[in-house]
Parts: sequence; structure tokens; C-alpha cells
Amino acid sequence: MDAIINWYNDLMSNEIWFYLIHTLLKLVLMFAVILAFVVLSVWIERRVAGWIQDRPGPNRAGLPLFLLERFGSKEKQPLKNWLHFFGIPETCWIAKLCTWLRLDREIPCWGLIQPCLDGGKLFLKQETTPSYVRKFYFILAPMLVLGPPLVAAAVVPFASEVNTCYGNISMCVANLDIGPLWIFAISGLSVYGLTLAGWSSNSKFPFLGGLRATAQLISYEVSMGLSIIPLLMMFGTLNLQQIVQFQADNGWTLLPLWGEGLGWQRWAMMLPLGISFIIFVTCVFAEANRTPFDMAECETDLVAGYHAEYSSMKFASFFMGEYAAMVIGSAVVVTLFLGGWSIGFGADAALAAYSEWLAVLCQFCMFVVKLLAFIFFFVWVRWTLPRFRWDQVMKLGWLYFLEITVANIFLAAAIMYFIK
Amino acid sequence: MFESSLCQILFYVLAAVAVLCAIGVVAYRNPVNSAMCMAMSFAMVAAIFFGMGAQFLGIVQLIVYAGAILVLFLFVVMMLDIHDERSSSNYVHAAMGVLIAGFFAGLVINVSLGLPGATDNPCPAKTLCSSFGELLIGDARTVSEAPAAAARYGGALPELSAAAAARLENPAISEADAARATSISDVKLLGKCLYTHYNIAFVILSFALLSGTVGAVALARKIRKD
Repeated sequence: MDAIINWYNDLMSNEIWFYLIHTLLKLVLMFAVILAFVVLSVWIERRVAGWIQDRPGPNRAGLPLFLLERFGSKEKQPLKNWLHFFGIPETCWIAKLCTWLRLDREIPCWGLIQPCLDGGKLFLKQETTPSYVRKFYFILAPMLVLGPPLVAAAVVPFASEVNTCYGNISMCVANLDIGPLWIFAISGLSVYGLTLAGWSSNSKFPFLGGLRATAQLISYEVSMGLSIIPLLMMFGTLNLQQIVQFQADNGWTLLPLWGEGLGWQRWAMMLPLGISFIIFVTCVFAEANRTPFDMAECETDLVAGYHAEYSSMKFASFFMGEYAAMVIGSAVVVTLFLGGWSIGFGADAALAAYSEWLAVLCQFCMFVVKLLAFIFFFVWVRWTLPRFRWDQVMKLGWLYFLEITVANIFLAAAIMYFIK
Repeated sequence: MFESSLCQILFYVLAAVAVLCAIGVVAYRNPVNSAMCMAMSFAMVAAIFFGMGAQFLGIVQLIVYAGAILVLFLFVVMMLDIHDERSSSNYVHAAMGVLIAGFFAGLVINVSLGLPGATDNPCPAKTLCSSFGELLIGDARTVSEAPAAAARYGGALPELSAAAAARLENPAISEADAARATSISDVKLLGKCLYTHYNIAFVILSFALLSGTVGAVALARKIRKD
């Protein structure tokens, strides 16, 4: 036992091994959380869509009990078995309630099993590759769509720091000094996937879809980058961990109610920051290629857009890439505008003074709650607003957003210079 | 030790891939293949920048070249649907190309070998890495003044440390705080350098870009005759 502890101590005392081990652990955690959220957001999307359109949505799929029948249980219906075990008659109201809740067939979990079943279905579907496609790029394109959002997640901080006896652990995979730029650059690379998918499909509608997607992503990337400059001027750093720390100390960007966030300058800054928020969130919607900005795959014009020729898991990669982009977009909005992992009202420092690990746990939960709330908002917008026309999308991006963001930078600079 | 050897290995691997991709740009007949090779090459150069600790330069390389300019290239190539290029073997053109490319390659090699301590290290990236910091940190020192800097440090440039950068950024910083600094914020260093030392060149360059934009708009605008 002592030997194991000694070996562990030696291993963790080595700076390089310590770094490798805690980075790998965080990497696995981050990857698992993002992929779980991709699955979860599909379910949220369908349930909220059902709710908004006054229909149930996927509420049935539960853990099926026929699995139990197959493995071991001789009785046809486990429910009857259990009722018998507790001595409840089958005509009793409890039995009826259980039958009404479909407990005789499955263990209900609000339809959460549905996305898993969908995934299984997509895996098992026949995969057809049309004979006229350009094979190499046709296969490469789905990877280029799914990969970048997962890599971009590396810089998003999901909790604050912990001081262990072996060294300091910052709770984000890569604590880079260029956080937001990294996310823009890497998620911008998924444009290649869309363009190549459209081109390599070698048929008209996918090609038009690919062109639309490329034009839209490039147009909105410009306003997206420019819109956060007022924030960066206020934070004075590009490190996302430090940005969230700043918000924990001085109040969230959109909620400066504690710390030193109550000066006149900060209240005046709410105007440019609010404009930034609206424009940035709209750009995130556009970048995620979702309604009202789903010009690249709108059924009425383009069948299914750039992924019309794809089937089975290749289609699923596009699908997952879109949802991963949505999750990452929400994470960035939460980190920049809504305080990231910060619990707020000075609770972070108080918790950290009590126990750092407890603080990190609470902050992680807070981050997940905020993320879920923003994903809900994302879905809400999709099922509320109708789709734009193509020329409206381009006009909004180039004629309004670009000008407003540039003016916004000057407004923020003037406020920071004149109002003390 | 760990970092420097890793830096060297990574530099050679990435540089080799970048050069291979650059050859691919010229060698492929299909323009889309060429464009994708160019994207790979840009990405590798960005990775080399990352290896040198110049994170901001690397990411700007990715955003500007791989993320925007090259996508537009690809866009145009696909839209015009250019098929395989049939190259006309014109020796005069080839010789001109070799001359121009050789001139620029020689320029870069001359500058990097002219840096103090360039031949001390088996890996040129290591020297370039430290000299990159030197060029940025010494706000008045440029390549032409490198010998003076070399004399000051006895033939080899000092290694760029996070503590030195922190001290430079905030002269009033205490020694303990400077020692605690873990990373160099090259965004600040680069910004300071561009907006003070190279300010005039920077402004002139932005005007060149602006005139280019205005020209493009003027060309693209339809002039009605009625």
C-alpha cells in the first residue's frame, strides 16, 4: 500500500506527468460533457418543439422491460410479478395507475432514451455513397464538420482553479491567452466541411447549399469577432479563465450587481455591452446554421442542402456537428456575457475560502445549469421565428451588423474615456 | 529539456508537412486539391507559430488565411468549376518563378542566419523563438540592430522568459509576482510593437487595404446608363 502511495506521490510530483494526467482527465471530462450535451440538446429540441406546437414530442421511449423478459425473468409481464409480490390485486387503483404510466412495459424516463435509439438507428441504416461523388472529399467533409466544434471546446473554462499539494489546476483543458480567438478560428474551420460537402456531392442542390453556408458563415464571422471588442476592452485580457474570474469579482457582464461593478462607467457600459450581446447571440445563431438562419439546408428551396446526398452515420456527423456547434456557441455566450462558471453575488470567493473542491463542484453545476438554460433559449428562438429570405440574411450581416459593431466599439471607447 | 527537445521535433515534423503541402499546391492539377494543400500548409505554419509560443500570430494565421481568404479561393474555384489545368510548359515563366521564389527564400534565410546565436543551436526554431521575443520586447531593437543586442548578451540572445515579459509589461511589478507569471501575453507585446514602433507602416498598410476595398466595390458596382 505504501509503495502505491509513494509511487503516486513520485508520479504526481513530476511536473510533466502531473500536467499530462490532469490535462487528460479534464479532456475526457470535457469531451464526455460536450457529447452528452449534444445528445441531450437533441432531446431538448424535440421536447420544446412539441411543447411550443402543443403536441407531446418524444415522451414515450423508456428503458424497455422486454429486456428483463429476455434475460432471466420467466414471467411475461414483470409488473404483474411485482404486484403479486407485494400482494396488490390487479384491479386495484395502484395497478391501474401503474398500467396508465406504462410501467408494465418500460421504466419511464421522459423519453430520454429517444436520442440513443435514434443514434442506434442511424448506425444501423444502410449507407449509400452515390457513384457520381468525389469520393475523397465526400468522406472528408463530415469529419471536418464534426471535429472543429469539439476541438474549440478546449479553451472553455468550466470551473475556477484548485490548488493541490502538487500544483495548480485550472479547470479548463487549455488555458490559452487567446481564448475567444481560438474558438473563432477553430470553429471557423468547419466552413471547409460544408463547402466540400456541397461541392463533392456533385449535384445541384447540395452545391447551392454549400455555397450559401460558406457565404453566410464568412459574413457573420466578421460581425461576431467585432462585436465582442467592447467586452475585451472592459476585461483587458483574452484569457477566458481570467475573463470569468473578472466577472466573478466585478459582476457578470450583463448583471453588474456586486463587487466593484457599480460605478457610473459600468452602468453606462451596459449600452454597448447590450448591443454586443444582441449582435453576438444573433451571429451565434447564424454560425450554428439554425432557423431562422438555416438557409443552407432549407427544405423549401434546397431539399436538404449540403447533406442531401449523405446517409447513415455520415449524415449523423453533420447532424451532431450542428448540435455540437450549438452547444459550444451557448458555452461561449455563457462564458462571455453570463458569468461562465461564476455563481455570483460573491458566493465564489466565500465557497472557495471554505473548500476549493466544493467551490469547483458548485461552479461546474452552475455552468451546466446556465448552459442548459441558454440551449433552451436557442431552441425557443428556432421554434418561434420564421426563416429569413436569403437576401435578408446577407443584408442583415453586411449592411446592419457590421456598421453597428464598428460604431459600438467607438461608443464603448468614448464611455471608457469620458465617464469615470 | 522536455520543452526544447519537443519543440525541435515538432518543428521539423510540422515544417516538413508544410513544405510537402506547399509542393502539392504547385504539383496538383486539380485546383481544389491545390487549395486544400494550401490550407494544410497554412495550418502547419500556424502550428509552428504555436510551438514558438506566438499563440496570437498562429491564431491570426488560421483566422485570416485558412479561415477567410482560402475559403474564398475555394469558393471561386468551385463556383467557376475549373477542371484540371493543362499546363503549358513555358520555360521562361518557370525560370522567372524560380528566381522570384529563390530571392525571397534567400532573404528569409539571410535574416534568420544573421540573427545572433543562429548557428549555436541545432534547431533554427529555437533561435527564432528567442529572437522573436527579442524583436518584440526590445521595442527599439530591430533586425538591423541585432549585432548590438548580441554584443550585449555575449553572442547569444537571452531566452524569453515569462518573468521578463511581466517585468517589461509592468515595470513596478514585484520580483515575486514576476516570478509567478506563467505565460507570455504576446497579444500585448505585438500590439505595443505594432502601434508604437511600426505605427506609420501599419497605417500606410491599412490605407492600402482600404483603397483595395474601395476599388473592389467600384468594380463590382453596376453603373446604370439611364
